[in-house]
Amino acid sequence: MVHIWPIGGGKGGSGKSFLTCALGRLLAGLGKKTLLIDLDLGAANLHTFLDVPYPAKNISDFIRKKIPVLEDIVLETPVPNLSLISGANDTLDIANLSYEQKIKTVRAISKLKYECILLDLGAGTSFNTLDFFLISQNGIFIATPEPTSVENVYRLIRSIYFRRIRHYFTAADFKVLEEEAVKLFGNDAYNRPECMMQIVKKIYPETGIKLDDDFTTYKFKLIVNQLHKQDNAALGPQICKLIEKHLGLNIEFAGNIAYDEHVHDAICQRVSFLDRYPYTRTASDLRELSKQITHSVGEQLMINYS
Amino acid sequence: MEKKFARLNYYEMLDLKPEATFFEIRHAYNAALQTYQTDSLISYSFFSPEERKAILDLLEKAYLTLINEKERQDYDNELIRLGILKEAVKKPMAKTPVSVFDINREQGKPGAAKNAAAELRAKVAQNKFIGEILSQQELSGADLQKIRNELAVPLEQIAQETKIRIDSLLNIEGNNIEALPAAVFLKGFIKAYLKCLCLEPVDEICIRYMNRLSSLGGKS
Repeated sequence: MVHIWPIGGGKGGSGKSFLTCALGRLLAGLGKKTLLIDLDLGAANLHTFLDVPYPAKNISDFIRKKIPVLEDIVLETPVPNLSLISGANDTLDIANLSYEQKIKTVRAISKLKYECILLDLGAGTSFNTLDFFLISQNGIFIATPEPTSVENVYRLIRSIYFRRIRHYFTAADFKVLEEEAVKLFGNDAYNRPECMMQIVKKIYPETGIKLDDDFTTYKFKLIVNQLHKQDNAALGPQICKLIEKHLGLNIEFAGNIAYDEHVHDAICQRVSFLDRYPYTRTASDLRELSKQITHSVGEQLMINYS
Repeated sequence: MEKKFARLNYYEMLDLKPEATFFEIRHAYNAALQTYQTDSLISYSFFSPEERKAILDLLEKAYLTLINEKERQDYDNELIRLGILKEAVKKPMAKTPVSVFDINREQGKPGAAKNAAAELRAKVAQNKFIGEILSQQELSGADLQKIRNELAVPLEQIAQETKIRIDSLLNIEGNNIEALPAAVFLKGFIKAYLKCLCLEPVDEICIRYMNRLSSLGGKS
């Protein structure tokens, strides 16, 4: 069975691509057939991390139907067992996928024959990012211990929560729900997923139960990246607790990754950080994480785009 | 979906068990403040200023209620009445400081020790056998042991009260001259031993014991 891990973080520069690449290398090193997909459409980087500077094919070939089968744009990387679907040199308008294109891509991804698939998502909370994140129940959030990043990761989590609720309704029905929420909870209620959820439960109890089941099966994880020595190591667990208490969403804290200046060097030299500096704190954190992540995996879930 | 924060009870707000001690409550409050404070990184941007203020006010109220013994009791009763809390949950008694002096010694009532001493004294006075031994010119360790056996005081008790090691006491009673300590210490030991058995006069008996030892060619 294929396991898909989307990796998203809200803020740019928090280490999504670095983490995707590192985890990919570690999983491949365990002998698992691993595929990395660069879904940071319009700002793709993964090929550079993996030292494939000029990929012959990229994801827009698939989206623009130049190559009809997704398998055909998979590139082999210098790392054994590790493959890549690159976003390099894609067309300039790719960042704005149409709905049909997105559905097509999501379907194709879920049918790929790999043991592990890691999705590197873009920053921000565009529909692309949210929908790709919701492909799987194993989504990984990544944040750094800075207010900017914490702010954006909360934003992303809320958006994903909201998007999931939104999936269940047509535009017209949702409009009614929003109005109802405003009536009950005040002006900005339509913007708060926890309020919307209550309204849903009230008006559509069945859908509410379905959504509840949904959210309990999600196994989202949070990783705190670039943790400096002076930072609060308990930040991650505390964030998870806060989200559980106030959003009712269960997110598991997966671990901290220590900050290391050598990451910069490794990226500049375009070599694998894990190979170049295997005995650093950061590298051991990454190895620990990869073990933890592979051990607890949720059921695969395809969103019903009917 | 979780209940709204304002509808949680005070224990849930602070993530406490209903039987939490005051120390735990204080600790939980500090931890909650760390999360919800205005400049906290953990909840940065998570709440609007009004929400945050409401939460902080609630937390403070929860803390002030739980930390006050009487108000906490009232609040618990209210929760029990609403069926949220089970009556069976008993709070552990607050730990009171333990007196350092009484850790190992079970002294019982203060009068008891006095009574025991008086009893011993009476026994000494009445017992003819003890009187005979005490009237000897010189006393040996074995004599001391006989008196002790007559009074039915265990050696362990003497060791505990006098803080003299039991093997030293055994050496004294067994007349094991080689192993006895220097005379200076021995005198102190004997006096403590005699006091423990309420044998009087202490100084005189001690001198008689030491005389016997020196006549045996032991320590002086």
